[in-house]
Amino acid sequence: MAVVKAPTLARPEPFRSRILDWLTTTDHKKIGILYFFNSLGFFAIGGILALLLRTELARPGTQFLSPHAYNQVFTEHGTLMIFLFVFPMLAGFGNFLVPLQIGALDMAFPRINALSFWLLPVGGLTILSGFLVKGGAGASGWTGFAPLSVQGGSGMDLWDLGLLIVGTSSLLGAINFLVTIVRMRAPGMTMMRIPVFCWAVLATSLLAVLAIPVFTAALLMLLAERHLGTVFFDASHGGSPLIWQHAFWFFGHPEVYMLILIAWGIVSEVIPVFSGKPLYGYRGVVLSFLMVTALSFTVWAHHMFATGAVELPFFSITTELISLPTGVLFFMWLGTMWKGKLRFEPPMLFAIGFIAMFLIGGIDGVWMASPAMDFAIHDTYWVVAHIHYVLFGGTVFGIMAGMYYWFPKVTGRFLSRRLGIWQFWIQLIGFNLTFFPMHVLGLRGMPRRIADYLPNEGWTGLNTLATIGAYVIAVSIALFFINVFVSLRKPRDAPDDAWGAGNSLEWATTSPPPAHNFDVMPEVRSGRPVYDMRMHARAQGGGSTP
Amino acid sequence: MSATELFTDERAVRGTSSPVMGMVLFVAGEALFFAALFGAYFSVRTSASVWPPKSIGVPELAVPSVLTVLLVTSSVVLQIGVAAVRSGRIDSFRNLLGLTILLGLCFLALQAYDYSQLTFGIRDGIYPSLFYVMTGLHMAHVAGGVVLLSLVMGQTTTGQISLQRHEPVEAATIYWHFVDIVWLGLFTAFYLSVR
Amino acid sequence: MSSTHRFVRLGVAALVLVSMAACTEQPATEQAQQTHRLFYIILALAIFVSVVVEGALLWAIVRYRRRPGDDEEPPQREGTTRMIIAFFLFGTVIVAALFPFGEVALGNIEQNPTPIVTIDVTGSQWQWSAVYSNEGVVVSGKTFVRPLVMEVPVDEPVRINLVSNDVMHEFFVPAFYFMRNALPGHPNVFTWTPTRIGTYRGQCAEFCGLGHYQMRFIVKVVNPTDYQAWVQKERKSILKINCPPAAGNNLELTAHNISWNTNCLAITAGQSASITVHNLDAGIDHNFAIWNSLDTTHQYFAIPKFSGVATHSANLPQEVSQLKPGKYYFQCNVHGPSMSGVFIVEPAGSGQGGG
Ligand code: HEA
Ligand code: HEA
Ligand code: CUA
Ligand SMILES: [Cu+2]
Repeated sequence: MAVVKAPTLARPEPFRSRILDWLTTTDHKKIGILYFFNSLGFFAIGGILALLLRTELARPGTQFLSPHAYNQVFTEHGTLMIFLFVFPMLAGFGNFLVPLQIGALDMAFPRINALSFWLLPVGGLTILSGFLVKGGAGASGWTGFAPLSVQGGSGMDLWDLGLLIVGTSSLLGAINFLVTIVRMRAPGMTMMRIPVFCWAVLATSLLAVLAIPVFTAALLMLLAERHLGTVFFDASHGGSPLIWQHAFWFFGHPEVYMLILIAWGIVSEVIPVFSGKPLYGYRGVVLSFLMVTALSFTVWAHHMFATGAVELPFFSITTELISLPTGVLFFMWLGTMWKGKLRFEPPMLFAIGFIAMFLIGGIDGVWMASPAMDFAIHDTYWVVAHIHYVLFGGTVFGIMAGMYYWFPKVTGRFLSRRLGIWQFWIQLIGFNLTFFPMHVLGLRGMPRRIADYLPNEGWTGLNTLATIGAYVIAVSIALFFINVFVSLRKPRDAPDDAWGAGNSLEWATTSPPPAHNFDVMPEVRSGRPVYDMRMHARAQGGGSTP
Repeated sequence: MSATELFTDERAVRGTSSPVMGMVLFVAGEALFFAALFGAYFSVRTSASVWPPKSIGVPELAVPSVLTVLLVTSSVVLQIGVAAVRSGRIDSFRNLLGLTILLGLCFLALQAYDYSQLTFGIRDGIYPSLFYVMTGLHMAHVAGGVVLLSLVMGQTTTGQISLQRHEPVEAATIYWHFVDIVWLGLFTAFYLSVR
Repeated sequence: MSSTHRFVRLGVAALVLVSMAACTEQPATEQAQQTHRLFYIILALAIFVSVVVEGALLWAIVRYRRRPGDDEEPPQREGTTRMIIAFFLFGTVIVAALFPFGEVALGNIEQNPTPIVTIDVTGSQWQWSAVYSNEGVVVSGKTFVRPLVMEVPVDEPVRINLVSNDVMHEFFVPAFYFMRNALPGHPNVFTWTPTRIGTYRGQCAEFCGLGHYQMRFIVKVVNPTDYQAWVQKERKSILKINCPPAAGNNLELTAHNISWNTNCLAITAGQSASITVHNLDAGIDHNFAIWNSLDTTHQYFAIPKFSGVATHSANLPQEVSQLKPGKYYFQCNVHGPSMSGVFIVEPAGSGQGGG
């Protein structure tokens, strides 16, 4: 297949104006790349914080972090990973890909797009700056449970303010995605032809628009409680800590699906390409996304079983029902692989790793959906195991699949295959070494969020193992960063259709795409326009694609 | 044919405009924002034995009723303005928009006056907490709405609004109506339903 | 499937089951046995789903890998509606099996039979206290110093009324397979029926700030006679406390690290008296209150709660100084029994008082 050169922008620009260009850009592709940098930066920070946690927990006794420091570190670890790594990562992929995949020129509101990006680092640094103030950073967990979060110094305010900023960013971004997907599609690109990745972005954005404002309200109430003397969460004055709980989890549960949908979208793009088949049951996948979106607003109190203040059977059954659409997705991915011709390139390896690991995480969740069982494992390391099997085993493996898959499109260069395979295996082993033992720790009654434990509780060995595993993960992530760094110095070598089997429109343009996205807009007659082009070209006798 | 030309026509026929759709989504989010606050209100209220608490007493109705009239009138006026713009009468739209902004400003001023007359402060318990935070956040939304309408006013006076291009008007109107509806909710929750 | 296959599969499943079982604690209450049974049911379902899905994944990886040089396109099959429905049904069957078991276990756990012992447990930053009001026993931990130690009789329903004084806490005994939040202003009630004599560790499971990781407690399940003996001992230890009246009837009390510097205050009856409370806990509220007895049904006097570091002085009202000589009870109302002691009113002219 012929390689179309990017239009010659060869004239080297002066450095200053290049910087200015990045700071003021409203091009969705550049903003997407900025999002990637932001996310990877916060991933590295959040990961290093995690290593601090694991180092402290390796042995009993507080050798490394004081309890006060530990509490700050786990709070910021969770907060950064969730709000500043994963969601912005979705916005990164979404920004770069959605307009390309639906054949648009840019996002619906390019300037609002730039604004939502720039709010992010501002919010993130606001949260992190808590480490510099007296009393330290916010230390009430990523869930900021009131009334505990009413205590604490100005680090808590910075956490609150930072999240208000980040929430605004996500809300604006989500509205932008929704309008773009509904209104900016190319001719022939009907809703049932857009790539599933776009459906994932659409579902995530719906969740964001409807859930984030509730969190914003809770954060504002918390600020008022801390500074204006309100008593929303103060039971001795007619308020109730349950107000925070309900508001937070009404947001919090949709939030966790916002964090996984990105991976579902990516994996649903990657698996067909490396199986040589179309996605099995496109309509089933779309239906599942939408069902999950709707159901996720009905399950929030499964985080509150142990409060003794919620309707247990109702929230138990809705939570169990949410595994049905999720389960369908697994069968759709397997169905796509079935009777295919699988190519185990790094994106496919990570996608398979995703399926294998997210399944465990999902089932871990179903354990806790039974209130009686949850009473025994709630707030133990079982929950920590669950969240990392879904968020690392699920989301991070999915994101890595996406990174390897679209890197050639974004930069025009492939990531090293060899390093990718090494990274995959080290990551898989390190991940299970770290987080599998946490199931057992949970069953043995080790509570989460503790800075220290006693030597006689039988938790030491498994904690040491988990710490070793965390360092193994760190090696794999370091390999990824090295891979990116090394690959960026290579000359461009990626063809338009980088994997030779692409389906969606981004593979019809150059790698990287020109500023205006498409020199020639291919016709869209099905959900796989680039496949159609390939078939057409083959029928024409091996002629090159335009 | 360049890519740009290829798309523009197709898109113009497709339903609502982007600003209007964006605003509808934004307002949907805002609705959940206030729903969360109302949720807090009702959960507190159902578990309280006396509501409003004895120390607060039943609030006066006079000023809040005027506030309600002001805001509802402003919505009606704005809607007439939208009808005007839709039939191309830009001048009369500008006047009606001016009146809407004026009514909004009156609302803000009168509510500030109402606050100054209250016998309780925000620190005086759960009822004042809910009252001040909910009406205060609503007030901020009214102020935001006034700013938004003023921006539209700016566009109108500089001739950027026309029969062909008036999405900003439609979008700002949706927002203003929403703010109005929230006030009706607050009026019911804090004044009407407690007598 | 061949029989060897099935055999291998069963063997693997059994192995996993056994090793998982070794991970859990022996259940020590009737309720815990219910949860333990549920544990195995969920485990079986989880293993079933895992084996089906991971098995299919492995099969696809091994069976459908592309052979080198094979460039032929695989059949471009897209899923049918019937298959999508079938996949929904797979999950539905699992949920239909799981949910009822969960509900039955829940129903059994949530029963509240007439208790033999009722204990009011209170969490506060950062220790637990337990009041056996019928028995007149108060036991409490001391923040950062020692955990609460509480005893309960074996084979009897024990009702716990759980509440918090400040932020959310969580009362968790792993061997009882049970935890429940201690919420401020929202008491929670549940029942344990311990079945095995032993000493069980417990710990606060809801993050509650700096001392969360140290908010431990111990539950001793003992036979009824030992339990009675323990009650007598604890009761005596409270009644035994004695101290001389304060000089000039001016009491002084210091709160530090969420405990009082003494568990005994005494005044001479009939004379005017005063109290000075030093709160050395920066940013933490304490107060001081005098009550009729452990059951705290009547409060004679309280100073408003105030935040440290600060000092608060007040004169004791007539009602207190005119009290009938005897033993009363004082506490910090914020922290409850874990900051409490005996308030003694000595008869005038009993020698010690003087003046
Ligand atoms: C990516 C994020 C993500 C995802 C996708 C999920 C998915 C699920 N989660 Fe998870 N969850 C979190 C992130 C996530 N969670 C986080 C961060 C917390 C902790 C918050 C905190 O306290 O800090 C949490 C906590 C949490 C709790 C509260 C635990 C506690 O604190 O006690 C519960 C309880 O029900 C739960 C359940 C579930 C369920 C049932 C799913 C389901 O969606 C999973 C569905 C998937 C499957 C079941 C596998 C595939 C299905 C099949 C093959 C079909 C057949 C199978 C069956 C029918 C069983 N989660
Ligand atoms: C996407 C979300 C996400 C991700 C990816 C992770 C990743 C990890 N998490 Fe995290 N975790 C959470 C979300 C996440 N976590 C949440 C929500 C909580 C709950 C918080 C709370 O209770 O409030 C939590 C809590 C949590 C705990 C429990 C703390 C407690 O309860 O006391 C632990 C303990 O082991 C832990 C460990 C880890 C480890 C070892 C990793 C590792 O996988 C990290 C691996 C990454 C690295 C090691 C980065 C290394 C980087 C380099 C080597 C590159 C350096 C290069 C440059 C600087 C260019 N996490
Ligand atoms: Cu009390 Cu944690
Ligand atoms: Cu959830």
